[in-house]
Order: sequence, then C-alpha cells, then structure tokens
Amino acid sequence: MSDLITITIDGKEIPAQRGEMLTKAARRAGIEIPVFCGHPKLDPIGACRMCLVEQETPRGRALITACTTPVSEGMVIHYGSEKAVDARQGTLEMILINHPLDCPICDKGGECPLQDHTLAHGPGKSHFWEEKHHKAKNYPLSDLILLDQERCILCWRCIRYLGEWEDKPQLGLFHRGGETVIDKFPDGELDAYTSGSIIDLCPVGALTNRPARFSYRPWELRKTPSICTHCGQGCNLRIDSRDDIVRRHVARENVAVNDEWICDKGRFADDISVSPARLQQPLARIAGQLQPVSWAEALQRVVSGLKGVAERHGPAAIGAIGSAKASNEANYLLGKFMRGVIGSNNLDHREGAALLADPRGLPSLEAARHADLILLMGCDPSEEMPVLATLLKRAAIRQAAAVVIVHPRRIELARYPGHCFQPAPGEEPALFDALTRATLAGRGEPIPAWLAGAAEDAQITAAANALAAAQRPFILYGSDYAWGFGARAIVASLTNWVTAAGHGDRLGFLHAQANSQGAGDMGMLPDFLPGRRPLADAKARGDLEALWQTELPSQPGLTYGGMLASARGRIKALYLLGANPAGEKPADAAALKALDFLVVQELFLTETAQLADVVLPAASYVEGDGTFTNSERRVQRAPQAVKPVGNAAPDWLILTHLARAYAPERAAAWSTTSVAALFAEITQAAPLYAGMTWENLGAGGRQWPWQALSLQRSVQPYKPAALPADPAYPLRLVVGNQLWDDGVVLAASPALAQQGIKAARLHPTDAAALGLHSGDAITLRSRSGSVRTTVHVDDAIKPGTVFLPYSLAGAPAGALFDEYAPRSAVGVG
Amino acid sequence: MSGFKDVLDGAAEIAKAMGFTLKTLVSEPPVTVEYPDEPMTIYPRFRGRHELRRYENGLERCIGCCLCEAACPTGAIHVEAAENDPAHPTSPGERYASVYEVNLMRCIFCGDCEAACPTEAVVLGHTIDLAVYNRRDMLLTKEQLLNPPDPNTVIRGDW
Repeated sequence: MSDLITITIDGKEIPAQRGEMLTKAARRAGIEIPVFCGHPKLDPIGACRMCLVEQETPRGRALITACTTPVSEGMVIHYGSEKAVDARQGTLEMILINHPLDCPICDKGGECPLQDHTLAHGPGKSHFWEEKHHKAKNYPLSDLILLDQERCILCWRCIRYLGEWEDKPQLGLFHRGGETVIDKFPDGELDAYTSGSIIDLCPVGALTNRPARFSYRPWELRKTPSICTHCGQGCNLRIDSRDDIVRRHVARENVAVNDEWICDKGRFADDISVSPARLQQPLARIAGQLQPVSWAEALQRVVSGLKGVAERHGPAAIGAIGSAKASNEANYLLGKFMRGVIGSNNLDHREGAALLADPRGLPSLEAARHADLILLMGCDPSEEMPVLATLLKRAAIRQAAAVVIVHPRRIELARYPGHCFQPAPGEEPALFDALTRATLAGRGEPIPAWLAGAAEDAQITAAANALAAAQRPFILYGSDYAWGFGARAIVASLTNWVTAAGHGDRLGFLHAQANSQGAGDMGMLPDFLPGRRPLADAKARGDLEALWQTELPSQPGLTYGGMLASARGRIKALYLLGANPAGEKPADAAALKALDFLVVQELFLTETAQLADVVLPAASYVEGDGTFTNSERRVQRAPQAVKPVGNAAPDWLILTHLARAYAPERAAAWSTTSVAALFAEITQAAPLYAGMTWENLGAGGRQWPWQALSLQRSVQPYKPAALPADPAYPLRLVVGNQLWDDGVVLAASPALAQQGIKAARLHPTDAAALGLHSGDAITLRSRSGSVRTTVHVDDAIKPGTVFLPYSLAGAPAGALFDEYAPRSAVGVG
Repeated sequence: MSGFKDVLDGAAEIAKAMGFTLKTLVSEPPVTVEYPDEPMTIYPRFRGRHELRRYENGLERCIGCCLCEAACPTGAIHVEAAENDPAHPTSPGERYASVYEVNLMRCIFCGDCEAACPTEAVVLGHTIDLAVYNRRDMLLTKEQLLNPPDPNTVIRGDW
C-alpha cells in the first residue's frame, strides 16, 4: 500500500499522505480550511466545528470536521458546496453570539484568526440582538497571563498545550452551555514554565500577555526574527518593536531547536533594552568617583591604562574575562585584542577552562524527541532549559522513554517512570562506578580490579541494563557535576558508565548560558584558539598570525579563577566583558579592588562595574547584530531589533575602536565595519565555522558537525577526590541554576519580580531538626563566609544538603565557596 | 459707422453694470469677512483642527485603539495605549490612550481618522487658525486636543 493517495476536493484531485488530517492535505493544495481548535502541534479534537466540509459517503453527503478526519484513498470532499459554506457560516455566527467584539481594544485585533475567518467565511450579520453573556473581562490566570472569558471561544488549545506538552494540566473547562469558562482548578496555579505559549496559541484575544498588554497593535510592529539568550538552547523567537522600544517577544518555529515554544523567561523578560538601569554613557573614575565622559576620552583612558600596565609589568600582567552571555563576535574580538594586540593569553570566562564540558556541547536537541531513554546527570532541564524539558516530557509520555536521573535534587522530570538516584555531594563517583560495574557485568565483560568493590543493588542493575539496552538514548550531564572540587572524578566516572553502556558518542553537555558553546568556540580560553584549536598547535597559531597580521604569545594564560586569584599578584589590569565576579563572590570584589586598572564593558552598573576605572556601556544583544552558538553547536543570528540605549555601543564596535586606538599600526587587521564582515573573518579564524556566512545562517541557523571533533572515550580508572566531613558545618551545599532568580536580566523586568521561590531549600527532616519553616530567615555559614536568605522546605532536597540557587539577591552562593566549592560544607545559624 | 455704434453700446453696458453695482452697494451688505477681527462662518462638514471628545460623564471617548493611526495616510497621528486604573478610569473599559499626538505639519485634513474611530473620539473640528511661530507647536498633544470648546457637540452627525 502506498502512502501517497489521491483525494478530491471540489472536483480537484490532490495528492495526500495516507493518515494525515484533511486540513493539512487541503492546505498543501492551496485550500485553507478555517480552523480554531486544530493546530499542527496539538492533537486533533474537533471542538470548534469551524472546519466543516461535506464528504461523499455511501449514504449521501455528510458534514464532517476536516481537522479530525484522516484522509483516505478516493475520498471526495466538497468544501465550497452550499451546505458546507452554510454550515461554516452558522458555526461562526454561533461562535460570535457571545463574543464581545471589542476588537478595538483587543491585543489580538489585527492578527486574530476569528477576525480573519469572520471576514472570509462569516455571514456578515447576526440573527441575534439579545444582550450577550457577560463574564470576567480581565481575569488573571497568573502574574503573566490574563484571561478574557468573554472573548474565549472554548477551542481548548490552552488546555491541550498544557496537557500535551507541559504535562501540567493546570487549566480546565468549568460550567456548562453558554456559561462554560476556562479557569484554573480550585487552589491550582498556572505556573508551568512555558505557560506563555498559550498566548501564542490562543486563536482569539482571550489569553493576553499581561506585562505587554495594550502596548502594541500588531500591524504597527517591526518584527525582527531573533533568538533568546537566557539559556543554552537558543530558542528562536521574534522581537516585536515599535519606535525602537521592544514591545513583546513571541515564539518562532524552528523544529530543530525549540519546536514552536519559548519559555516564560524568554517571553516575558524582554525589558533589557528599556530598563532605566542601563548604562547610557561611558564612565571613568575621576577623583575617586565614576563620572560620565565621552567615548573618545573613555577609550583614551583604557588605552593609556592598559599601556601603562603593559610597560611597567609586561603584557602577561593584563587579563581579560569574556562572557558566555555575549555574542561570538564580542568574544572573538576580545580574544583577538588580548592575544593579537596586547600579547597576553590570560583569557577566560566563568564557564571556561574550569568547566569540564564536552567541547561539542550536546549531539542534537532534536534527538530528544526520538529518545527511548533519557539520562540526566547533574542537570535539571526544567530549570535550565524549560523548552528542552517539554520535549523530554513528550518523549517520556509519547514514546515511553524511561527517564534516568542522577541529581542531588529530585528534579521535576523525576516524575516519569525510570530511575532517580540522589547521591549526596561526594558520593556520585561511587554511584557511577556501581553503574559501570553493573553495566560491564550485564554485558558479560571483565570487571577491572578498581571497580570490583563497587556496590550492587537491584535498582542500579536495572538502570544499568536500561541504558545498555537503549537504542536512541538522550544523555546529558550538566554544570552541577562539571566544575569545582571532585568534578574530575564525577565526570570521569559518569563517562565510564556511559562508555561502558556503548553510548560514549551520545554523551552531551548541557550548557547553562546562551553562548557557552560559542565563547569556547571563539577561543575565550587560556589554552585554546578560535575553532577549539589548541594554543600549543604551532600551525593553528601560524594561521591566526597570518589572518591577524601579528605575532601570538605561545604560553598558556591564566584561567578565570587564576586571574582573580592573581589580582593581588601577577595580574595588574583586567578587562571584563559582561562578567560580574564581584557580584557572584564577595572575595573576588576585594581582589578586583587591588588591581591597578580595571575596565568593565557592561549593560548595567553591576557590583563589578562599580569598582572599575573605566566603564564602557555596551549594547544588549537586542540592540546590535550578533551570532550565538547554542548547546548543540548551532550558530544563529540575533540581528539588531532596536537602537542602542543612550550612547551605548555594540561590543564589537567598542573593541574595534579600542584596538585601533591602542595600536594604530595594526588598523588594517581591525577594519571590519559590519557584523557580517566580522563573521566572515570568524569563519576564517575558526575552521569549525567554515562555510557559514551571515546570510546563509538564515532564520534557522547552521550547526557545525558533532564529528568535527572526535573524543576517544574508554573506561578508565580515575583519581578519586575525598570530600572531608566537617562537624562544625554539618550540611553539604548544593548549588544550581533556577529559572526565576535575581539575575540582572530578570531584575530589569519588574513584572517578573514575584515569579518563583527565591530561597535556600532544605529537606523537611533537616528543617524540622533546625526548627525551621518555609519563609523563615536563615543565615548559611561556611568556612569562607555567610549569606542571609530565606528558607523553603522542600522534600525534593536530599537530606543533609542545602540547595542554594545562583543569583539570589543579597545571597551570592560564591560567598560560601571554599576550596571544596561548590560542594562546600555549610551550617545554618 | 459700426465703430461709433460699438462705442455707444459699450458705454451703455458699462452704465448698466455700474447701475447694478451702485444699486447693490446700497441694498446688500458686504460679503468680505474682516477675518480675524470678525469670525468666519464655517460649514458643518468643514474639517479643521482635530479634537478629542469626552462623554457627558467626563470620561474620554478615546480608547487608544490606534485605528486612526492606522488609517492616517500621512503618519500624522501617534498613539500609545495603556491600561486604565479601575479606581480612576480615564476612559470606559480597560484601555485608554496615554499618548495622543497629531502632527499638523503632516496632516492633510482628509478625515480618515474620524471615519476610522470606533467611538467618535477624534473629530476634525472647526478651528481654522492654525498658524504658529514655532514648528514644535504644530505637534498637538493630548491635552491640547482634549480641550475643545464644547465637548459633546457631534459635528457632522448623519451625512
């Protein structure tokens, strides 16, 4: 039986795929059957009856709903027949009985399927003159989403999205007949992390974006296809602006990356370019105070400051810290400036050399959709990549993918069938050894002596067997397991397990930041050049020297931690681009104060910028062209959507002018005047990016291949790292990313201030022992310092540990970090 | 001697015309308006300076829907909308215009804004003295537009 069949619509024969819905086949043939409830990403339901067409049956013509009817061979459909047209008119007239027709004040007006269908298919006038039903007009479903129950046409799209993709059925239908309304469940909340998707899905103006409400009309918006830079997924979105003010973000389809969804942070945290806290003018320290100066003076001060240090202490006394939140262009040029103009390899970023990440990130986000097993180690996609989490949930539900989790918290995805291991900090290698041992035993392979002592139990064996038997596992480890004390042992042991199970080439790393992958690709590392080529590789250096028309230092530089630790010693000047060490770790603030010269290129006057000698105001990614490389090595464009605020300038422009001012004799190597030209230079400097151009990145981006860098993995013994207990500090610190934190981007969006629980978390048994309740103020102490925050009691926390999210206002996790960070011993008191 | 007759006929015509002139001079009032010392008579359908109207209860008619802006062929209108404070609403319903500006240098007084308005909020009034000394004063703000002499007059009615 062929899958290609022929059906007839209005006497015209059209090809169709067997089993696809009639609406889809008709659309391909250019017949747009109107629908409200039907949506390509949601299961068919047939709730609105808008798509009625006539079908020839043995018993005569019958009205059927095209969105729920799969096509079959020889099907004869009448779309334009009098009865079908009349049925659709009647349906529309009925939908409009109680619709308030307040289009002039409705945010959907102008992009509303109900308006469009009424114009194209409606009767034009109504039989009804009675008073319409009145329901709640601006009913808040959450702080972010408003429901207008009068406008709602009960298509169920929002209910189905939350059920089918988020697996959080938080909305339902209540009452009957004309009184039917959508609502939350009693005592329920609408707090799914991608809840904003229901705004895009709503075919009328019933669900509206609360922070953006009334701030735009669709026809007057300038629509810039861009990406989100809140996490490493790089979801595609559209930035809608008017008068150079960003009005809203809406999702853009890219099936390979984010399907058609963006998370609520990506949608609602869109105020970065309108925040009054943005730096608008260069600042320089004059008589001890940061004061506004002109760009010319600011750059002159940077040049003379850096030159002074270079002359007194040599170029190795200068370092630069880039950012995994900044574009490829910014990181590339900062590296080019440091290596090619200053002559120093002191170059790193926070998630740089210290992070034991796979240099290729993760194999493919799309693989998550087809997975038959999901293995997550030390990462929590729900908090770190909410859209990936929806894809994983769907794989768990639709494809019965087992979910195996190894994490110090019982993360949200642990609610799916599978195995959840919660090793305490320090016990992860022992667990992975046991899994490796069970895997080798299950495969009948010899067990090396160093694994012979590993524990055995039924759950470990079951998990090991599940991974070994999986055909298409989706395997990730995350930053929680990839840096700090003991990380080497954890990563080595988990790599052993995955390799022993035969999936070594599927082990991927979940990057937390938008451009973690790209910053490394651009050589924002002390020992790697652009394109992940080792600094020690003389040919790579030679290629770059020819391109940059300069000579490159060959000695590896200091890492992020090394530069900050040496700020009182070898390092005399630092250039920070988008990095805020002082806000993350108070000890680093003291170190930065000891520097001779500090330059900070930033969006906001952060704790670090307040210490600077010169502050250069940078344009955010919304305000300038740039490219970002997501966790799956996909290079995507983020074109300029609005003008920079005040006198802020794009990072690449600042660095180009700075380099030309610092070394006028090298101006020829610093002559690019657009990001497109700069990206062309990057593709020459980084062979991994060869073949890409600004134009051919297009709307969906381009990936560099997973196989471009091959890693040989095998089961290897590793050096264990013992985490000593400390009776004075009985709890173990667990840090991690949380979607709703107090980071600078969220702080710029006041509408989001109430989202999430911003507190340290304790297991109920530990909280009871300490006499603590949710909401109590606590002080967490370690050998290095203390932070004050509130506590939230949560049984997902491993007993004996305390979870402290990064970026809590006034409670930087870095204050607690000692030599065992981030697995430091802490106490409450 | 047709030339002589022509002269006589011409003189008679002139005399006749002058007679009419002299008669009208004393029997009819003058039609010239001593503007601006005297007010102009303005016809009901005349389209002058924009006005934003209110309801009798003082609420603004404008709901900030931006349809006038969309209809304007010259981009003379700029509207920003905002949400009403339910305790102190500016207009009926949830939405009002927080910014409403008309650029008279662009306006061609076509009346499309008036036709597009769903609430009869913006109308082209009967103010014709638009001369100003400063180009900036040609940008009318919401405050200027909202203070027409008689807020409830429907200027054009049914036509």
